[in-house]
Amino acid sequence: MRVVPLLLLVSGCGIGAMHQATLMGQCAADDAACSRRHPLAPIAIGARFYPEVAADMAGTSTPNLRLESAAPDVLAVEAGTLVAKHAGTSAVLISTDDGSVVDFVHVWVAPVTQISLARRDGDRLSGTIGLAVGEDLTIAPALWNGAQRLAGDADLAWSSSNDTAVTVLRDGSTDRRRIRARAPGVATLTVALGSATTSIGVEVVP
Amino acid sequence: MKSMLGLVYAFAALALLVALTACNPYLVAQSPAPPGRSARLDSVDGFWGLRYYRMEISTGVAMALTCNRNGPCEHVKVVSDNPAIVEVRPASLGVLARTYAGDAKTEAAIVVVGKAPGTAKLHLSAEEGERDVVVVVIPAPGAPGSADRPAQLPGS
Repeated sequence: MRVVPLLLLVSGCGIGAMHQATLMGQCAADDAACSRRHPLAPIAIGARFYPEVAADMAGTSTPNLRLESAAPDVLAVEAGTLVAKHAGTSAVLISTDDGSVVDFVHVWVAPVTQISLARRDGDRLSGTIGLAVGEDLTIAPALWNGAQRLAGDADLAWSSSNDTAVTVLRDGSTDRRRIRARAPGVATLTVALGSATTSIGVEVVP
Repeated sequence: MKSMLGLVYAFAALALLVALTACNPYLVAQSPAPPGRSARLDSVDGFWGLRYYRMEISTGVAMALTCNRNGPCEHVKVVSDNPAIVEVRPASLGVLARTYAGDAKTEAAIVVVGKAPGTAKLHLSAEEGERDVVVVVIPAPGAPGSADRPAQLPGS
């Protein structure tokens, strides 16, 4: 029963209006840059949020639960994943198999106004970074609406201006990328989602 | 003598009306409105007391209510006359509520969801009686039809 508050400290959560269930992001415990760690924040338009549902009800373990959206045009539920469609808010109903509502959380959706890039340990990247040939660097993007960090994984567009010097590789995650320094040179790495875009310089040395 | 009898009948009818009015369940809001959105329940009272409820709720917002009359209502059924505008769902609120007799029963709860702008009526029936709720679903800020609405206090 007391496990839930502990989980809140670890990963943050959205507590239901009826105080019986929580909606948490699925994050590895040591993943400081995990964008799914911020379920209390609005979800970025175009992003997906992978929630983990837990209930804290007297005298019972968690029953079989499913999620439903009150406004699917704002926030859709697709195979248990929250998909942000348009700016606004939608109640996410947490209900049992027979449709009885155990709790609900109002989830907000907001547009992305800027993108920042960070190392996996959370250190923010800006300006130009230097890499030696053969070196790899994993970069995690963060989506922002003004000063507010948004939640969710978005399929951002990554590009390198000089593929000979720097290559962008997928690392299995939806949002993160691994860049590999292949040959001496200079490249500009650009990351974009809709009209929001950011760039950093990469200098590869022998 | 005839006028006295009429007076007695009038008082009897009055007592019956008061008794009938008092015998219906009451609804209580159990969840707040999210910021900038509406979710409120108000009673509409007449000379004989509570006539029905009116609710204002924003599109995409949910609100939990409990049904009580001398303790949680029994065998609650609620139907919406237009589920495309307002949807109502049974809810499991796992808390006990004391009755006047001193015992405790699990709360009887429902969740109302604003689906699309418009007006619809909920009809609640339980062992304790019946209630109607007139629900006005208002568009979310920025949505079509929301521009002509005056600014509201948060949660109002």
